[in-house]
Amino acid sequence: MVTYDSGANAPEAPQPGFLRRLLFHTGHKAIGLQYLWLALFSVFIGMITSLVMRIHLVWPGAPMPLFSGFGNMPERYAALTLLHGSLMVFVVLTAAPQAGLGSYLLPIQIGARELAFPTLNMLAFWATVASVLGITAAFFLQPEAGITLWAACVALFCAASLASALNFSVTTIDLRAKGMTLPRLPITVWAWFLNAILGMLIFSILLAACVYLLTDRILGTHFFSAAGFLSGMPQSSRQPGFPAVWHRLFWFFAQAQVYVAMLPCFGITTHLLSTFSRKPVWAHRAVVLALCGVGLFGFCVWGQHMFASGMNPYSGLVFSLLAASLGLPASILVLSWFGTLWNAKIRLTTAMLFALGFVSLFLTGGLSGLILARHDLTAAVNDDFITGHFHLVMGVAATFAMLGALFFWFPKMLGRRLDERLGKIHFWLTFAGVYCVFMPMHWLGLISHSRISPGTPLAAIAAGSFLRYFTTVATLVTIAAQVLFLINFVGTLLRRKKAAQENPWRAATLEWSLPSPPALENFAAGEPTVYRGAYEFSAPHFEEDFVPQHLPPAASELRAQSQTTRGASVPRTTLPAETG
Amino acid sequence: MPGIREIQEIEIIIEDIGGGGGNEPPAGGDEGDGDKRRRPGPPSSRRYYIAITLGIVSIFMFFMALTSAFLVRRTANDWVPVHLPMVIWLNTVILLASSATLELARRRLAIADLDGFRTFWRATTALGIFFLAGQLVVWHQLAKQGIYVAVNPASSFFYIFTAAHGLHIVGGVAALLYVLFRAFEKTSISRALAAEITSYYWHFMDGLWLFLLALLYPGK
Repeated sequence: MVTYDSGANAPEAPQPGFLRRLLFHTGHKAIGLQYLWLALFSVFIGMITSLVMRIHLVWPGAPMPLFSGFGNMPERYAALTLLHGSLMVFVVLTAAPQAGLGSYLLPIQIGARELAFPTLNMLAFWATVASVLGITAAFFLQPEAGITLWAACVALFCAASLASALNFSVTTIDLRAKGMTLPRLPITVWAWFLNAILGMLIFSILLAACVYLLTDRILGTHFFSAAGFLSGMPQSSRQPGFPAVWHRLFWFFAQAQVYVAMLPCFGITTHLLSTFSRKPVWAHRAVVLALCGVGLFGFCVWGQHMFASGMNPYSGLVFSLLAASLGLPASILVLSWFGTLWNAKIRLTTAMLFALGFVSLFLTGGLSGLILARHDLTAAVNDDFITGHFHLVMGVAATFAMLGALFFWFPKMLGRRLDERLGKIHFWLTFAGVYCVFMPMHWLGLISHSRISPGTPLAAIAAGSFLRYFTTVATLVTIAAQVLFLINFVGTLLRRKKAAQENPWRAATLEWSLPSPPALENFAAGEPTVYRGAYEFSAPHFEEDFVPQHLPPAASELRAQSQTTRGASVPRTTLPAETG
Repeated sequence: MPGIREIQEIEIIIEDIGGGGGNEPPAGGDEGDGDKRRRPGPPSSRRYYIAITLGIVSIFMFFMALTSAFLVRRTANDWVPVHLPMVIWLNTVILLASSATLELARRRLAIADLDGFRTFWRATTALGIFFLAGQLVVWHQLAKQGIYVAVNPASSFFYIFTAAHGLHIVGGVAALLYVLFRAFEKTSISRALAAEITSYYWHFMDGLWLFLLALLYPGK
């Protein structure tokens, strides 16, 4: 049935004894951090599951803690894939960049004291926690019950995301500070806002799908069991039984998440690139339009695939991912990134490195996506290729954007800076590592198919097995490199010394005008007034190479403006009326 | 203040997730009709208008998603339409009447006739509950004919649609009760705005029901 309003009674996560104060905290910053903690927890669980899967692929006989005790192998493996996928996609890629960073930063960046509905935000968070616990628990149940629990938890997650999206939209529309007009919004806020709008549409539809799915499973209806649905499945998962169901579920939901996950990452990357290039975002307006385009195309294409073409998961994912939805807007974004970087005084901080890493991974993943967008070529590759593509462009790239954001905003959130040297070592190891993991996976996808053709079957098989081995070792090394991050993270947290500056990166958006970490009410001294855009770097007439958004126009600036009548298109001193 | 706000926002949740009429206006804004000015100190009322608008869009998408599956599935060969019991027409009339009484109540409120407002608002709430009861009767009658949820696709859709709509009506009744019993004098909430926001949701549910009914009506 419709379980989606059970978010109201969700708080069941940690023991009430500890952190009781935090349990009912409605402050947007506290909740944002809680989302990020949840994501950090999930990302490590997710990495462990991926490790288990890789090891199992290479050494199938090796005893595995998660395999041994729970029934037969194929089901366990499929369930493990689902666990890995759902934790990574739902928590790490969807909740963390949107609800986590968004909860924390969106109100501050628009000059608001709080989100529009703080309690709603808290309930959304605990509903998310409950759904994550349920998804994890589903792995340990028998398949029949597990799938039902999984679907119910996804419904709950959809409800939480809907609440969060509603909250973000209203906040962005209504609570902007005086002078924070739409053109002056930071690109990050644009991304969160557009993503919230998109999320309200997508998660409503997912919720409806969950309702059908759950009634199928609980009440014995036949919405999804029609033969047409299964026949649209890819070869690999067409075998009857539970493994197919697990597979199907994951892709069914994952393809919707692609757009929802990538949008905030675009915003973060643009933001970081501009800040560390000390240049305004190149073609600012085009970037905003491109973000709108990603949202619009993404929604249309996904919706069309979901409900018009018989819900073929793979074709939906593959075609819509790049061919239609991300093609044109993504090109605009990439152009803008390079335009921003062009001729810039780039500061290679760790945050910047991760942002550049995102660009690199996004481009690489996009290239393989071009191949996948061709229907005839898609037939020539197998799951390995798709897995490689999907992880490179979505999973890893988005994680890089997240890490960049973490390094960037860590001083603001927690009052101290992560160690740059350790961070850079971590970056390079991870960067090299993910390429070593996912590039051979592309090869594998091509090789295993050529095995069928009458070429050199034995050589291909041998190469394939070597590549699998290589991939697994690279996975091990990459995951081991994450220990560096953990050391950096925990070590910095344990360190007493607080970051002295409130604006270590010399960035222009509003959050950097506050102490680190900001006070409970953000702008306690009164709501700020915004006089300029978010990316005024290296502007003339100023001593500093950045101009904070809340800085009133200086006399010299006004003079310069009146002299150059060309600049009349930028009426900086006027405070345009709110647009709603 | 914090306690009060929490209660309000819990109420909002009921609305936009389970059902909906967001209804928490800030201090002032007693002229419920369209006070969209931004206020410096307390939260502005505009957020509630925006929230209910977006919430309605979201709920609309939810039902459109349900509907699209219905439209696709209806073309299959095994489709056996459900013949609607007569009670459903009575329910429809009840729901339409509740919208009318809701508007009458708001009109009373506009001329500061609080007692008249309460009377009509109670009538609206009662009609809403009658509608829900009537829907249960419909289910009961169908069950007596042996038409259960999983009997055939058409019956599945019928039960899902009515259940989803009914749950949203439950949320609406909760919002109605909230406006009825909340002591607005002690809070920063304006009754007029709460009533207005609730009315948007309720009328939307009303229209949605007509749409669903048209969809489910098998014709002759």
